[in-house]
Amino acid sequence: MKQVAYYKGCLASLSAKELDISTQALAPKVGLELVELERVTCCGAGDIHEAEPDYYLHLNARILAYAEATGSDTLMTVCNVCTLNLRQANHQLQGDAGLLERVNANLVSVGAPAYSGGVDVKHFLWLVSAGEGYELLREAAHKGLKGLRIAPFYGCQILRPSKLLGFEDPDKPESLERIIEACGGEAIDYPAKIKCCGFPIIQAREDVALAELIQPIEQAKEAGADAMVTPCPLCHLSLDAWQSKLREQTGKDFQMPVLHLSQLIGVAAGLDDSELKFKRHLVSLDPVVEKLAV
Amino acid sequence: MQVALKIWRYDPIAGERALKEYEVSAPEEATLLDVLDIVKDQVDGSLAYRKSCRMMICGSCGMRMDGAAVLACKTRMYDVAQEGRVPVISAMGNLPVVKDLVVDMGPFWGKIRAVTPWLEPGYSDPGETEHVVSQERMDVIHKESLCIMCGCCVSECNSMEADPDFLGPAALAKGMRFVGDPRDQATVERLQSYSGEHGIWDCTRCYFCQERCPKGVDPRDAIAKLGAEAVSAGIDSDMGAKHAKWFVTSAKTTGWLRETELVPKTQGIAKSLKEVKFAMGLLRHGKVPPPFPPHVAKDVDEARALYDLVKEQGREGYEGIVQGEKALEQLELESESDGAGPRDPYGEGSFAVPYLPGENGDEEAE
Amino acid sequence: MHDVVVVGAGCAGMRAAIEAFDTGADVGVVSKLHPTRSHSGAAEGGINAALGNRADDSPEQHAFDTVKGSDYIGDQDAIEILANEAPGDIYQLEHWGCVFSRDENGKLAQRPFGAAGSPRTVFSADITGHVLIHVLYEQLMKRMEQGPMTVHEEYFAWRLVVDHGRCVGVICWDLVSGGLKLVAGRSVVLATGGMGRIYRATTNAYACNGDGMAMALHAGLPLEDMEFMQFHPTTLYPSGVLITEGCRGEGGYLLNADGERFMARYAPNALELASRDVVSRSETTEIESGRGVLGSVLLDLRHLGAERILDRLPGSRELAMTFAGVDPIYAPIPVRPGAHYHMGGVDTGNWGETELEGLFAAGEVACVSVHGANRLGGNSLMETITFGRRAGQAAAEHALAASSPTPSLSVAPMADAERDLKTLLDRSEGERPWKIRDELGASMLENFGVFRQGPKMELQLGIIQGLRERYERVVVEDKGPVFNTDLTQALELGSMLDLAWVMVQAGVAREESRGAHSRPYDFPERDDERFLRHSLTRWKDGEPELDTKEVRMTRWQPEVRSY
Repeated sequence: MKQVAYYKGCLASLSAKELDISTQALAPKVGLELVELERVTCCGAGDIHEAEPDYYLHLNARILAYAEATGSDTLMTVCNVCTLNLRQANHQLQGDAGLLERVNANLVSVGAPAYSGGVDVKHFLWLVSAGEGYELLREAAHKGLKGLRIAPFYGCQILRPSKLLGFEDPDKPESLERIIEACGGEAIDYPAKIKCCGFPIIQAREDVALAELIQPIEQAKEAGADAMVTPCPLCHLSLDAWQSKLREQTGKDFQMPVLHLSQLIGVAAGLDDSELKFKRHLVSLDPVVEKLAV
Repeated sequence: MQVALKIWRYDPIAGERALKEYEVSAPEEATLLDVLDIVKDQVDGSLAYRKSCRMMICGSCGMRMDGAAVLACKTRMYDVAQEGRVPVISAMGNLPVVKDLVVDMGPFWGKIRAVTPWLEPGYSDPGETEHVVSQERMDVIHKESLCIMCGCCVSECNSMEADPDFLGPAALAKGMRFVGDPRDQATVERLQSYSGEHGIWDCTRCYFCQERCPKGVDPRDAIAKLGAEAVSAGIDSDMGAKHAKWFVTSAKTTGWLRETELVPKTQGIAKSLKEVKFAMGLLRHGKVPPPFPPHVAKDVDEARALYDLVKEQGREGYEGIVQGEKALEQLELESESDGAGPRDPYGEGSFAVPYLPGENGDEEAE
Repeated sequence: MHDVVVVGAGCAGMRAAIEAFDTGADVGVVSKLHPTRSHSGAAEGGINAALGNRADDSPEQHAFDTVKGSDYIGDQDAIEILANEAPGDIYQLEHWGCVFSRDENGKLAQRPFGAAGSPRTVFSADITGHVLIHVLYEQLMKRMEQGPMTVHEEYFAWRLVVDHGRCVGVICWDLVSGGLKLVAGRSVVLATGGMGRIYRATTNAYACNGDGMAMALHAGLPLEDMEFMQFHPTTLYPSGVLITEGCRGEGGYLLNADGERFMARYAPNALELASRDVVSRSETTEIESGRGVLGSVLLDLRHLGAERILDRLPGSRELAMTFAGVDPIYAPIPVRPGAHYHMGGVDTGNWGETELEGLFAAGEVACVSVHGANRLGGNSLMETITFGRRAGQAAAEHALAASSPTPSLSVAPMADAERDLKTLLDRSEGERPWKIRDELGASMLENFGVFRQGPKMELQLGIIQGLRERYERVVVEDKGPVFNTDLTQALELGSMLDLAWVMVQAGVAREESRGAHSRPYDFPERDDERFLRHSLTRWKDGEPELDTKEVRMTRWQPEVRSY
């Protein structure tokens, strides 16, 4: 079992609890021992990075420091935005001794541990789409998806800027497709799978965000997908919860169910409903459940 | 080597688009621009595209290869030819097409002009000689001043696709070039102007601009710097600014995001009340965490204290972003997967590397 | 109708337009490219002015270095003007917000450059041209908002219009929508740059074809010192992309295949920072003697260290990686001489005035002459600013005092242009221009390159004649009006062929070695008695006719030139 420090982020703690629950249930099946971090805060998303960037750096440094203090060399995230934020902060601290010194002095003075740069931040997606994690996933996904047609939606900040993320080709990513296939599903391709769902501006610029959001959902529908999967709970929230707004605005009722990555694998691995919590989704997962006769 | 391309042609007189395929023989070190030249010279003289310097400084040759904007003069064709791929070349996005690969840059320049893209020195008077400014202070706008106005960022901007009036990454990066310039005295007016409906807070943070920029300008970071300056200057009445500030408030009070209050804090009570039906839907599925009792992170007083400390130390506004740039510039591309790794759209060339006596071919480093 | 029409929107053109506007004129800028695409933006190393920020310096020293660099045929009054006015012009650019690199005192940094007695090259890392072109375009945009400043973008200027002995405008091909358009003005400033594309190996952009020089030539004006083409010592193979002299200014070495810093044998004092013509000749000699590597010499920056390279020369590093596949932090860069800058051009006075009333010229297209037989690195950018400003001012003053041109002006020249264009476009069979262009480029490099000799130049004249005859039958495939670069490229070729003839003819006539014109086999020495003069060429009855003009000397007498 690989021990990893587990940072769930805000949404998985609150409105997307189903993400946390399914991840925690799934983890041992794919060889991950999660050490949940409690002395942490919100990573700040793009918002604190934009409004108070020095604070953003410190909040993330603190998360990294507490992760390091668990003794793990890996900090696992389940959200694209957390991944980018933590990795960016990590690169800044690892690459500039003067900056690290200053931040550490501040951390220590408020009672947090110092950070020595020894943690690597990885999204759960990366841990299970390659290497040993992938092998374990294939074994674990014994129930399979019975050829269910799944449209992967990556979400911007797991791919770009590729200089900071670097896991795969940002224009031709394949990790979600690999997982879908390993789970016995059929991966659907469509152009908007790497485009933006609009979540960061869905409150401040709703019309603009909805014009972005409709693209992946409509394209996935037209390509014949049964459901979508995404590694980011923010994308999930807009794809799932805002479909009703799309219906209001355009009259189009897509009824496209959206799964968290951990739920998709969880289904294939035989997790039951108490661990998947499908009822929490706004667009019903019933058609998927029926197809799988779960 | 043999190189094949598919090019989206557009004939403005007939109003017709057509995908045409070409195959030519080109030297191994050829770039996409060289191949286009060979096609135009030897196959079809009517192919239209812009070019000038061929050394990635003039910004003329922006175009899309397989749907992603690149500089044609920087894009090597060696890998493409070796792998037998046939890329699709088309005009940049988000701008009207004039002919073939030529776009109308009028809207692009219109947005640049909208950000008052010249120094406003106000009443400052440096005297007869230069303003005295340290290199470190000028480095604040180092990346923004690299911009060659090629349009690759604008081509791929997801926000602009949904809102064509969005000022966009190039114009906002140009704006930051002045906001960060110590000799400019119009900072407040600029921030107010850039914080309008189609400004800073219209950016969807997709990072396509940052990914596509061939010069390392990092326009999204420039927009974030503007946001930081705007909030720091109290120019924060936009919903986007309020949204961002609530994250800060959340972090320094409860640690975790106070999701439920985010909506009224961003949009105001009146608008939030109109969303009641939507909110009910969310509530039924448990997506609206009750604001009481607040979900407080353990040892959150550390986060509170950090906020006070950070404020005291005063690295305000863009400084918080600029301070990390040195480390990020030196970042080596990491690859953690079994294969793909980060994208380099410009490819490897095929060059003979010269050796000096006593040195061998291992000299070349990546 | 504008007061001042500026043809070309690089540094010289934009500086002239700004000054003309500030002098009170209604300005129309004509450019075949969007202004920021102009080749001035590709300049890298820096711009010279005797600021004295780094070491003791004076305009007099700057002037002397320039006079010596010119191999004594630079006009010394013009050179003194450049040296005296340069500092003020640099400060003006900085006040406009130009992003220059700073020294440890926060003042404008200056680096050593070729043949300079004191480090006076002001720079911005290694993208000086880029920052200059952007600050000038910013100031242009500001004036576009304020008043009568118009940019006729993607207008390909083709012919000057002369009416009753005055230049009153320029006939252009509108690239965007097609058709010939007349842009009329009370005065015209030519700022169309150089013609490096005559050579296959050149640092120049595709756009550098000498259109403006050819226009002036065919309008009857004399072109001065056409035989002097500077070959920049450090250009990449095979692309010809420029690697700045700044690399040597920061301490880079030039090595041959034996790992020897060979410049010690050719210029024992200045070494790698000798004058460009000296360095290019040294490199060519090394390569031709078999001490080259891949037909090049090696520019070694490794000892500067990664930090210095990333701080001062990041652009050069990117260029070397992209266009030669080497990272200069770890490997030496293969470089060789390439055609870079043309010292000659339209004969002008110190205010950019030509012998044609109403026509002015500034920048690389002009020959004041500030550079004589060879120019110093960093002086060209300074010339564009100082003499661009002067020409803009003079053109505006002239326009504001002049009367409007007569209304009949447009008919005859426009009709001629339409007819000539139709002849070209109507042709449905013939040769495509690219072969002629490639043969011109290769033969000029071979027969009129760094080293020249009588028989080869005569041979080149014959080759050019053959190419000109083939050009009469050149065919343009694109007959459409919209963005027809097939047509403009064919017209550019015509300019280059005529200018090549003029250049080689002048080269044959200059029977000495001076500056960039080097004839080691037949006339290896400088001959001040016969040739301390400028060459002048006019176009008479369809061919170049040679003449000479005296050199204006104020303070310095010719001396032996060594580094």
